[in-house]
Amino acid sequence: MRIPLFVSAGLLVFAVPSVAPEEGLQWLDNYQEALRVARQTGKPIFLEYRCEP
Amino acid sequence: MLSPRSSPRGQLLSQYVTVRITRLDDVDLGLFDYDRYNTLYFFLMNADEQIYMRYGGRDAQSPDTYLNLASLELALKKGLELHEQYKAGKLPRTERPKPVWARDFPLLVERTFARGQCVECHLVGDFQNQHRERDGTLDKITHLFRSPDIKTLGIFLDVPKGLVVQEAKDAAAQAGMRAGDEITHWNGVRVYTFGDLQYQHDKVPRTAKTVPVAVERNGKRVDLTISLPVRWWLTEIRYRQWTVDPRVYFDSRPLTEEEKKAHGFKPGGFASEVTHVDALAEMMKSHQLKVGDLIYAVDGVETDPDAHTADLYIRLRKTAGDSVTLKVLRGQEKLEMPLKTFRMSFRK
Repeated sequence: MRIPLFVSAGLLVFAVPSVAPEEGLQWLDNYQEALRVARQTGKPIFLEYRCEP
Repeated sequence: MLSPRSSPRGQLLSQYVTVRITRLDDVDLGLFDYDRYNTLYFFLMNADEQIYMRYGGRDAQSPDTYLNLASLELALKKGLELHEQYKAGKLPRTERPKPVWARDFPLLVERTFARGQCVECHLVGDFQNQHRERDGTLDKITHLFRSPDIKTLGIFLDVPKGLVVQEAKDAAAQAGMRAGDEITHWNGVRVYTFGDLQYQHDKVPRTAKTVPVAVERNGKRVDLTISLPVRWWLTEIRYRQWTVDPRVYFDSRPLTEEEKKAHGFKPGGFASEVTHVDALAEMMKSHQLKVGDLIYAVDGVETDPDAHTADLYIRLRKTAGDSVTLKVLRGQEKLEMPLKTFRMSFRK
């Protein structure tokens, strides 16, 4: 199934501010913090670049 | 919410540190090099800044042609596999590209940092090209015609399945590619996603005649060589709105060799028929072309190794803002007509 951009752009991100923390994922907005957490947890990083003028 | 934590996709994403970046002020543009005209673009990587793969990419028709939740799920699974290999020391290191920063581009600094404005993705791409134009290093075929379309080669992907070929036609079929093949290497580089493939395809020199490709077929690797057709790099780029792309406010179609011969135009030249005139042509006093006009020379030039139409010739060989003289056949009348190109001032 192909998901239109506006759906994917709006919902692919999984965690908008209105989503309860226990339901959604925590998205960081700081790259250096993401590197630090990845080192600490041993997890890989999923980095999103999004045009948001 | 499409992917709550409890969903399969949510469970996959939970195994990653997720981070979203919306401005490029402090981003290493060399490491995170990608076609800036993507609305969304993703990197799967590790804490040592080793990039496993990219997810994203687009075509001229739509920014979301290749964005798909099923293929994203495949990429997330593969990313976890590669991360396990990395942790076990089994993943070869890749060389880190030379760092590039937004603040390295004075025009961009003047436009954004100095005004306290956002360093937007598309601005980075545009200002890089403005600097190339100033430095004399702008190669329009490479730098404007970014991300050539693989459909031009006859490759149509089964998008939810990642790099599985749904249909192979034209050059791809002639090379031996078949429906059901999974593309694994492009120009010698391992690719996992369409984002990877498009990035590597964009790196193919525009003068190349062939591109080596590998596919997996029935569990075995099959190596293919795709012959690149003439102007394989040519895509619709108007949505990009490059500042350095001269605005000509008309479209044209190439005449056939028979049509050129019938009109006495140079064989192999870029003689072309005007098919559309933008209303801005009159408003901007750019030119007085009409639909049906045949343009057979620009500033006395009738042939070009890369251009097959007059508008492409102007866009490739002239600088935005230049004025040129067209030779035009309108009905039976031969005309010389001035045309002034314009430089887009895009969200400046």
